[in-house]
Amino acid sequence: MRADGVLAMLDRWGRLLTPGTVLLLFVLLTFAPLRVPYVADLLPLLPALAVFQFSLATPERLPGPLLLVMGVLLDLLLGGPGGPVGVSALGFVLIRAAVIDNRRYLVGVPFLFQWIGFCLLILGYVFLVWIFTAIWTWTDLDATPAFAQYVVAVVAYPVIGPLLARVRPRDPLNVPEASRGTAQPGETTP
Amino acid sequence: MAIRDDFEVAAGQVRLVLQRFALTILVVLAFAAMLIGKADTVLVENARVLALDLASPALEAIARPVAVANRTIADLKEFASLREENARLREENARLQTWQTAARRLENENTRLRDLAQFREGPEASFITARIVGDSVSAYVRGALLNVGRQAGVAPGQAVVTGEGLAGRIAEVGEHSARVLFVTDVNSRLPVQIERTRERAILAGDNSGLMRLTLAQTLQGVQRGDRIVTSGHGGSFPVGIPVGEVVQADGGSVKVRPFADFSRLEFVRVVDYGVTGLVGSGAGPTVPAASPKGR
Repeated sequence: MRADGVLAMLDRWGRLLTPGTVLLLFVLLTFAPLRVPYVADLLPLLPALAVFQFSLATPERLPGPLLLVMGVLLDLLLGGPGGPVGVSALGFVLIRAAVIDNRRYLVGVPFLFQWIGFCLLILGYVFLVWIFTAIWTWTDLDATPAFAQYVVAVVAYPVIGPLLARVRPRDPLNVPEASRGTAQPGETTP
Repeated sequence: MAIRDDFEVAAGQVRLVLQRFALTILVVLAFAAMLIGKADTVLVENARVLALDLASPALEAIARPVAVANRTIADLKEFASLREENARLREENARLQTWQTAARRLENENTRLRDLAQFREGPEASFITARIVGDSVSAYVRGALLNVGRQAGVAPGQAVVTGEGLAGRIAEVGEHSARVLFVTDVNSRLPVQIERTRERAILAGDNSGLMRLTLAQTLQGVQRGDRIVTSGHGGSFPVGIPVGEVVQADGGSVKVRPFADFSRLEFVRVVDYGVTGLVGSGAGPTVPAASPKGR
């Protein structure tokens, strides 16, 4: 009974902490001096990918304030002189909000739709970071490397996304209240 | 009892408001962070250094296995072309031997001429070797994180060199970590000179693989293949560190390819220049015995 209790507690805490820990790991992994072509291009968008995927699966374990902190940390570590600190945080928060608001189109649907959703949202994120960095540093920034990263992330999503969380087609009403979004009973596919 | 109920009701209302406007509040907070960053650059700089110091042990732990993986992949690639590589190296070795003879002769001659002219060299540089623990390479930044900081004697503005040439300069320094800004970064402006003509210019990065030569008085004299070296103007950079080679010179724009290969950096040296103080001309007998040579 006692061992059961400890295990149950570990299980609960593990589930609770996994998304935040994985996000932190990805934020740090952004700096891994990996020299493999294409894979190195993927790293900068990994945190955004994790935010998307966990917002889809378990948004209640990835609360907004945590995203804010992680985004600011990423900007502090990554940013060059003069870059905006907090633009990644803004992007993360908006990704989460967009995913929660559109759960009915993203959960319980074929994987292709999820992928399309990812493509659109991450494109918005990349554009947001680009435009803010350009305005903040007031330079004509070349967007080509950012776009290259975007393409790599889109191609890699089907491989990494499903690994991150058990994103099964779940009925939105079978999840905690907080992450239900605007979904109504009977809205999803059976 | 009634007070407690009132309190609970009020708390519930506050929570409701917070929930309803959660997104707005978070967005406003993110904007506030950006504005603060724009307004108070010193605060952000300190926060960056703190974040760097906190993250550097974790980054170092990640960097080692990554380095092993990189090396394994490079090894596998090299296996395929071992024979050609050997032949090429043998040829290069023969060529370098001749160069070495020439360099020895010139060095001797140089020393004698300096003695004759009582030439005093600038401050002597010492080096701090550092491991690259992180690539600070996003779509908009070209840089790296080092595992040495203020405690090892690193200071902002110092030059960072590789075996091939200049890599960049130190931008931020924590206690045990530092950030390098590569010469190819869009924020990098480097005073240089063209080795052949001794003409001064500014070398500007633009986040691509090549750099732009600007502010030269006459770009006409620049030819393809010209070597670009640091001019030593403006701060703690030694004179004559090779930076790159002109690969494209037509009309108004001159493009320079850096000597340092940023795609395979693992260790770099930070040039500690000026802290050592003025020291006489190296091996000459006129150097006072008490000269504090930084070590």
